[in-house]
Amino acid sequence: MPVTEPVLCHRIPTPPWGDPADRHLVTYDEYVKSGGYQALKMALDMKPAEIVDAVKESQLRGRGGAGFPCGLKWTFLPEPDGGRRYLAVNCDEAEPGTFKDRLLCDFDPHLVLEGIAITCHACRLDTAYFFIRGEYHHQAETVQRAIDEAYEAGIFGNKKGILGKGDLSIECYLHRGAGAYICGEETGLLEAVEGKRGWPRVKPPFPAVSGLFGRPTIVNNVETLAAVTPIVLNGAEWFTKMGCDSSIGGPPSYGPKLMGVSGHVNKPGVYEVDLGIPLRKLVDDFAGGMRGGKAYKGAIAGGVSMGILGPDQFDAEMDFDIGRKYDVMGLGTACPTIFDEDTDMVAVARNIARFFKNESCGQCTPCREGAQWIYKLLCRIESGEATSKDLDLLLEIAGSMGIMPGTTICGLADGNNWAVRTIVNKYRSEFESRVKPYFVPVTMGAG
Amino acid sequence: MAWIVKPSATTTIPRRDKPYLTDKMKKHYRAEIIPRYERPQGALMPILHDVQHDHGHIPYQAMVEIAQLLEIHPADVLDTVSFYEEYTTEPVGKYVVGVCQSIACEVCGHQTILDHLRRKLEIEPHETTKDGRFTLLAMECLGACEGAPCALVNGDRHDNLTIESLDALLDALPD
Ligand SMILES: Cc1cc2nc3c(=O)[nH]c(=O)nc-3n(C[C@H](O)[C@H](O)[C@H](O)COP(=O)(O)O)c2cc1C
Ligand code: SF4
Ligand code: FES
Repeated sequence: MPVTEPVLCHRIPTPPWGDPADRHLVTYDEYVKSGGYQALKMALDMKPAEIVDAVKESQLRGRGGAGFPCGLKWTFLPEPDGGRRYLAVNCDEAEPGTFKDRLLCDFDPHLVLEGIAITCHACRLDTAYFFIRGEYHHQAETVQRAIDEAYEAGIFGNKKGILGKGDLSIECYLHRGAGAYICGEETGLLEAVEGKRGWPRVKPPFPAVSGLFGRPTIVNNVETLAAVTPIVLNGAEWFTKMGCDSSIGGPPSYGPKLMGVSGHVNKPGVYEVDLGIPLRKLVDDFAGGMRGGKAYKGAIAGGVSMGILGPDQFDAEMDFDIGRKYDVMGLGTACPTIFDEDTDMVAVARNIARFFKNESCGQCTPCREGAQWIYKLLCRIESGEATSKDLDLLLEIAGSMGIMPGTTICGLADGNNWAVRTIVNKYRSEFESRVKPYFVPVTMGAG
Repeated sequence: MAWIVKPSATTTIPRRDKPYLTDKMKKHYRAEIIPRYERPQGALMPILHDVQHDHGHIPYQAMVEIAQLLEIHPADVLDTVSFYEEYTTEPVGKYVVGVCQSIACEVCGHQTILDHLRRKLEIEPHETTKDGRFTLLAMECLGACEGAPCALVNGDRHDNLTIESLDALLDALPD
């Protein structure tokens, strides 16, 4: 059964169910009137372990990029020892092409806050930090207002327990970032909340064991937490009826997903669809088709870190198998940027390389220096100054960076690696036509 | 570029008699912000946001005052300030115009917007006009790719920019 009615966009008018022109901020009162905080009440009547089990059964996978099973992550927490335990809400959303979490913050922040309260109850966490990127000024205000409303309603900061029930009192604080993509990486985020530069930490230990201020911490994406609410309300089985099973024997991709389509389409925007929707269907049926009737040339799979879907991959299914099936890193944030036939793929690669050069935190030499080299090489190729040897050098450097080759602390470098390699490999002829042949100088010695 | 180091310990810092952190602010931070965090340094970013907002930059003297309030080293404050793009050690213009240059905006024509601004304001990205009115920034994805090309003007986002809409927007800004 596909997504037949909006789940995360229940209160956010979104095609085909509603008109984006009708969108407005859902306040606490309106949220409650339309069934809001029912799931929290149900959760408070359940044992924490029951909620964790329900989320596990739903097979909800993280919506922040890595697709890690949410329920499983929660079980990594140690038993409560009386000390503080944290939830860090990841609303950094700085991956180019990604703008789905913003929709929830703009219009239905209580859906996320309800998910936060349920998660804190389920995992016995007493403090939540809502980390929001610095550029989201307006969204920080709407979320802060919603948090204030939730405090007034006795959901947060209630010494008698959440909504006066149980033994747990939770605090929820907004923490604004200040313009650093790397704070989206979960441990970079923790450093930022501690007031330090957002340098990712070496793992292990993982945050669930030693996170914020050295205490157990769960880091979840905004959309993941928003999905927890309907799972509690409707049950795990209901959730598994949306989305799709794996076609290659891997773990399934269940549930609805917010996908933000941008680039050369007629109606760019966020749509709520089943995981597994073919990219072509997403573009044609939701995003209004290709702009100006042009032909499709390629698409960033889900944020630039994931790499590119090539000219023959327009029918790729947007689910968690995508990495293994279509030679990209993964589904990422599931926000594709679409390119038409007139797009210069060398320029695309150069743009993405500049992003990674600017955003590398500088801790690991392969990432910091590699990103500079890659950018310079791509500029050289774009300007027609490069030789074919530069193309090989480019691939060699890109391929050597990241956690997967084992040379860096965090996945930012893998993003650079995959973006550059997949673009060059899938549009090789375009790159080759821009470089001069390289001749090995041969000197003829006399004797 | 977060990892570029700002001036070293040999810098003499300009001082003024009036503190940047007023007693009222300190009281507010002690009562409301610092207790939110297990260690006082957690309150650093919220405080820096306030100072950046009020003064258009983070003066070195303010860093020293913040360090005293949070009982950390001034170097720790500078470390954090120098990492994040939104904090600056030099004053920015009255209006900060940040044009997105990431992928969705580039393929939807951000270059026209940026070039127009360079001509109009007669500055390059990351410079401020002589009259201190405008700072031009080339920023990375603003999370508004459906409205590409887009820009932030003092935190307010403007989508689907054209040269005309941009001119109308900038010309309407109060003095
Ligand atoms: C360089 C980098 C940037 C990331 N940026 C984000 C981000 O902006 N938002 C996000 O939710 N996750 C981001 N992630 C993924 C997080 O590290 C983490 O996996 C995620 O927040 C976990 O939440 P989830 O399991 O609910 O998806 C990023 C990871 C890396 C390596
Ligand atoms: S891989 Fe890059 S961004 Fe990640 S920690 Fe290393 S230098 Fe920083
Ligand atoms: S690429 Fe410009 S807002 Fe995302």
